[in-house]
Amino acid sequence: MAAEFTRVSRKTWFGVNTMTKAYYEFFCPVKVVAGNAALEHIPFELRNLAASRPMIITDKGVRGAGLVDHVLGAFAESGMDVVEIFDDVPPDSSTTVVKNIAKLYRDSGCDSIIAVGGGSVIDTSKGVNILVSEDGEDLSQFSGVGVLTKPLKPFFVVPTTAGTGSEVTLVAVISDVEKGVKLPFTSYFLLPNAAILDPRMTLTLPAHITAMTAMDAMTHAIEAFTCMGKNPISDAYAVSAITKISQNLIKVLNAPDDADARLELAQASTMAGIAFSNSMVGLVHSLGHSLGALCHLPHGLCMNLFLPYVLEYNLEERGDIIGELLLPLAGADVYAKTPAGERGRAAINTIREIRDELYRRCKLPRTLSETGKVTKDQLARLAEMALDDGSIIFNPVEVDLDDAKAVLEKAW
Amino acid sequence: MNRQHQLSSGVLNAAPLKRPYVALMMDVIGRGLEAASQVDEKIQNEVKNLPDGFMFDMRALPNGPCFVMQKDSSGCLRYLGKTAPRKPDVSLKFKHLNHAFLVLSFQEGTARAFANDRLLVDGEIAYTMKLVRSLNRMESLILPKFVAVRALKRYPRLTLTEKLADGGRIYTRLAKNLVWG
Repeated sequence: MAAEFTRVSRKTWFGVNTMTKAYYEFFCPVKVVAGNAALEHIPFELRNLAASRPMIITDKGVRGAGLVDHVLGAFAESGMDVVEIFDDVPPDSSTTVVKNIAKLYRDSGCDSIIAVGGGSVIDTSKGVNILVSEDGEDLSQFSGVGVLTKPLKPFFVVPTTAGTGSEVTLVAVISDVEKGVKLPFTSYFLLPNAAILDPRMTLTLPAHITAMTAMDAMTHAIEAFTCMGKNPISDAYAVSAITKISQNLIKVLNAPDDADARLELAQASTMAGIAFSNSMVGLVHSLGHSLGALCHLPHGLCMNLFLPYVLEYNLEERGDIIGELLLPLAGADVYAKTPAGERGRAAINTIREIRDELYRRCKLPRTLSETGKVTKDQLARLAEMALDDGSIIFNPVEVDLDDAKAVLEKAW
Repeated sequence: MNRQHQLSSGVLNAAPLKRPYVALMMDVIGRGLEAASQVDEKIQNEVKNLPDGFMFDMRALPNGPCFVMQKDSSGCLRYLGKTAPRKPDVSLKFKHLNHAFLVLSFQEGTARAFANDRLLVDGEIAYTMKLVRSLNRMESLILPKFVAVRALKRYPRLTLTEKLADGGRIYTRLAKNLVWG
């Protein structure tokens, strides 16, 4: 694992020994509050940040499942109340929704935000935090890289799926419906102050969503480990995340109310999020983002579809690194028994076996044709879109239009 | 003492040469891209999908060398020099002159510079990807293979004839642009 970083490449360049060394950055200031009764830590953590009037932002599904009640219950006997709840965040949030929530926040005199939900709720909450902290009305003014220049209001995230890792990422994407564009926001100030991982919040997640989101986290970790931005610290998070998912996903599907295994998946998702937000992702995400945009398939499903095919595409260039994944994926015995030169292929086969098992248990599609939502004449367009996705630049192997089409054909 | 001496002789003494080198290379790349967009079909296909009047720049922060380019009415990229008449739609920014030097002296590829957080993008990512592909294509055509392989993740499938013909046309156009503006 460390070979890539400890190696000093001695390149001669017009007779000059350039001695290039690897370089990386790693940053994650999010406090992780995880485990049994984690929710009950929220009031104390808010007080630590001089906040006492939190607003909860969530969606109808999360509230209907009773998950917000767990958070509200955590405020009992705390001397602090949740001042406002907004529970109508749509699956594809917009600047209009953000603006409405920001008004509610101000009208109610809130001083902090607790996002309870998945990717859309978390991104929406990040947008709300920008407006209420900057005292702005037009969210588009703050779009871009590094536009924010000061810390925002106290912001906690309580994930209700174990997959996106948004609780530890510094980005948000929110649609401006009027202008028909998606606004990206990137700033260290968007990182939450704390991520609260409580097994109660994912205990009732249906099997197919559990599987899909776990494969999302698995892909975050695997791409963080195999793509160009990998570094020793994100590698450590990625390997731990892969180990936890490999050991606990099927366990959770067998016993959905196994709180310990649920917590392991939640932690894996956060660890994978920390890994990929520091190392970025590659071609699986380029193809997945395109498929999600064109055919409106869930992100986790897209990741599950493309993962083994992209690893096969990268195998020749990254065989040794992909081979190291066999240890967290299949365990020490299998790793030790597999010759070094065969580990890369064996790791990919293990991922295929996991996907087969998920298909058998909850019909999670493994190919584009199994989704029933993609037509073959869309493949050319998908390939074109993938080339324009930012993550493709971090893929270790160059990808041109023919290459992208070839991977899509294999995934068909 | 020795280490301090090594640092100052290895890094600080080289600095005065880096700025003019980076400035020269930015000029070459900007003008090369302008010429390549006039003769190479693949780059023209990339530029075709940029909005009319699209403007981008590449610069070394905080106030190092830079170049600005714009898509003109003929659908080609036009080298505008060092000053942007408005905020560019996409800005490629090296965090430090030294990082620009690493890339422009082909010690570090463009993708590696992105992966190493040395090269920042401000603007629409999809357009940036088209620009990166155009830059890669231009480099593969005008640079000798043994230099281009250091800048690119994969050297493209180019025959010697293609390389000589397209590269020659770009150099010819570059010379014309320099002479007639």
